[in-house]
Amino acid sequence: MTTQTSKVSGSAPEKVETAPRRALPEIPIWRRKLRPYLLSIPALVIVIGILYPFVLGAYYAFLNYAAVNPSPHFVWFDNFKSVLGDQVFWQSVKVTSIFAVSATAIETVLGVGLALLLNRSSTIGRLFEKVLIVPLMIAPVIAGVIWKLMFNPQFGILNHVLGLGSTFDWLSGNTALMSVILVDTWIFTPFVAILVLAGIRSLPKEPFEASEVDGANWFYMFRKLMLPMLWPYILVAVIFRFMDNLKVFDHIYVLTAGGPGVATRTLQIGAFEDSIINLDYSRGSTYMLLLWIIVFITARYLVSVLGKAQRRAAGAES
Amino acid sequence: MSRELSRRNMLAAMGLAGAAAMSLPVLSACGVGGKTNAPNGADQVAGGFDWKKASGATINILQTPHPYQKSYQPLLKEFTELTGITVNVDLVPEADYFTKLNTELAGGSGKHDAFMLGAYFIWQYGPAGWIENLDPWLKNSSATGPDYNFEDIFEGLRTSTRWDFSTGNPLGTGGQWAIPWGFENNVVAYNKTYFDQRGIKKLPDRFDDFIQLAVDLTDRSQNRYGIATRGSKSWATIHPGFMTQYVREGAVDYNFNGSELVAEMDSDKAIDFTKKWIEMQHKAGPTSWTSYEYPNATGDLGDGKAMMVYDADSATYPKNKPGASAQAGNLGWYAGPAGPDGNYKTNLWTWSWAMSANSRNKLPAWLFIQWATGKDSLTKAVEGGTYADPVRKSVFDTTFKRVAADQFGYLEAFETVIGSSKIQFTPQKKFFDTTQNWAVALQDIYGGADAASRLRSLAKTNTSKVNL
Repeated sequence: MTTQTSKVSGSAPEKVETAPRRALPEIPIWRRKLRPYLLSIPALVIVIGILYPFVLGAYYAFLNYAAVNPSPHFVWFDNFKSVLGDQVFWQSVKVTSIFAVSATAIETVLGVGLALLLNRSSTIGRLFEKVLIVPLMIAPVIAGVIWKLMFNPQFGILNHVLGLGSTFDWLSGNTALMSVILVDTWIFTPFVAILVLAGIRSLPKEPFEASEVDGANWFYMFRKLMLPMLWPYILVAVIFRFMDNLKVFDHIYVLTAGGPGVATRTLQIGAFEDSIINLDYSRGSTYMLLLWIIVFITARYLVSVLGKAQRRAAGAES
Repeated sequence: MSRELSRRNMLAAMGLAGAAAMSLPVLSACGVGGKTNAPNGADQVAGGFDWKKASGATINILQTPHPYQKSYQPLLKEFTELTGITVNVDLVPEADYFTKLNTELAGGSGKHDAFMLGAYFIWQYGPAGWIENLDPWLKNSSATGPDYNFEDIFEGLRTSTRWDFSTGNPLGTGGQWAIPWGFENNVVAYNKTYFDQRGIKKLPDRFDDFIQLAVDLTDRSQNRYGIATRGSKSWATIHPGFMTQYVREGAVDYNFNGSELVAEMDSDKAIDFTKKWIEMQHKAGPTSWTSYEYPNATGDLGDGKAMMVYDADSATYPKNKPGASAQAGNLGWYAGPAGPDGNYKTNLWTWSWAMSANSRNKLPAWLFIQWATGKDSLTKAVEGGTYADPVRKSVFDTTFKRVAADQFGYLEAFETVIGSSKIQFTPQKKFFDTTQNWAVALQDIYGGADAASRLRSLAKTNTSKVNL
């Protein structure tokens, strides 16, 4: 680079008049030392804003704080013993797990399928692409209200269209969990589809063209080429949906309030009942702390899986 | 060993931090809970009584849409003219009303100076110090007008809003935490026109006959069913028809053994009655019973789908007013089946006015409560036609009896039960938790669980909870 420059510049370098460089004002040392701290204030405020309620909630879990006991004291692990010894808590863990795993699996499979269909450029595909995001634009609470009306055995459209008469109850003890999974699927499958569609469209075309020339069929290309490259995108969708489904509250509460009985009582609904309905803040906080631990461990695991998938897709790992 | 953070590790750490941040709001959502030690405001009021004493003030009140609220809405301007106090009303639907109230009172903001309250809520809001004891206000002649006459309010209602929060002590002890405004007896409303068509003259006075009638009235193919009651996962499922018939059949919720409460939901009488109640829902109730709240039940009666409703009389009363429902003019009332010994014990609910202990406008709020529960406004509200069961005997015996005279069976049902109508629950500070558990047990039994074992488990849990 230096050599080339000297060649071009030729013999006598022309004198270029440059404006005298303005001297930067002297910054006092104390200001220079303070600057990094000032720059970190916004981050600090955010961290405090997040951590303060978190720590407060965790602190409550070790008290016996309730509306009827406004002067609480430390009970250490009594709340944990009480909650973990309660059958209803384990039922909530079961409901939350079934809901999170089933809803995430169904949404992922349907979302990937929809993305593959939408990737085929056609007028209908482009139209569907736009219609698909409509459920995402509806607040889950509103979606819950809409579906509750549709589920109504007497005047709901579902029983009428499906010919189920006026006695089939979508929200009975045996069917409620399936119904709330259905509603979640309706709302969030488009989210997965859009994320995966973006992934499909960002994939390089060359490997597909090459394998097509070699005579590979569509399914082979999907399995051996597209899926491995698409895996990180699918995993991102899975992580988002799974985390969200572990914390699900709004549309389930609107549809069933966690009932009938405890058939759809997720951990979040349990915490809400204890904190807001029964005004037992410490028990509600214990529920939430336990849920947080579950979410954190799951998130950590899924993020590590995502990292591996990214490395594999980049060819860094076999 | 290199301490350098690779880009990949950095991304992983960021991802982890992001995941943690995603899960943090889960816990922070529970960071609620306020307490108050606000002093009672009655001592601050001195001098002679004057409605204009707080002229120029503005108060915020919280209400839920209800026939009582609707009857008073047009009268609010009269209160402003009388006192010079402006009233801002916030309305929250009943399904969310107490959630809103719980969170607001727990926050201690005192945003709403006065609010509609049910008597059971006193049992949790009182110990928390969230509501003002209105006894000192009633006793202060500078704050309460000479014509107020608190004793004119039915005694059962006055005692239902008074408790000292000591486990085992009955209602009627301790402070006056709210002033009754309207109340509800839980009786049976029925489609009289349809009953007449079917030639049903005698209404059943035994529970078994009542179930049989409900079954006979049910024809799913015609979208018609016999009996609508509440069945949602809420304490509110227990308190109307269920609790009323439960006590008529001789069962009780708790017994006090001298030191602690013992849940009795698993007594033989309780199990027997619960089985019959659930059987009735299966054979003659709404098909989505487990989500039914009172608007669903009374709505079905008004639409002609439900032939009977066992719920609050004041909730079914407006459905019979011209134009209010498809079955307006066709409804009748009766006390419902008596107990085996002929008793008509009835659980009552009272909508009352309470004042926030954190209110910054206590005098204007008290003037409002005094006006709303006073004879003049109550008389005008009843004249409006949809306000049932006024709390003052003087208004009930004159204006209400005249207005409700054409409502078939309404006054007879009222007279039948009023002598035995009171809060049939044992007062206790875990009411909502334990009573919702009771509703959950009913739903489980409805879903197929064995009644006896489920109720035994409920009683065990509730006994441990109420004595904590």
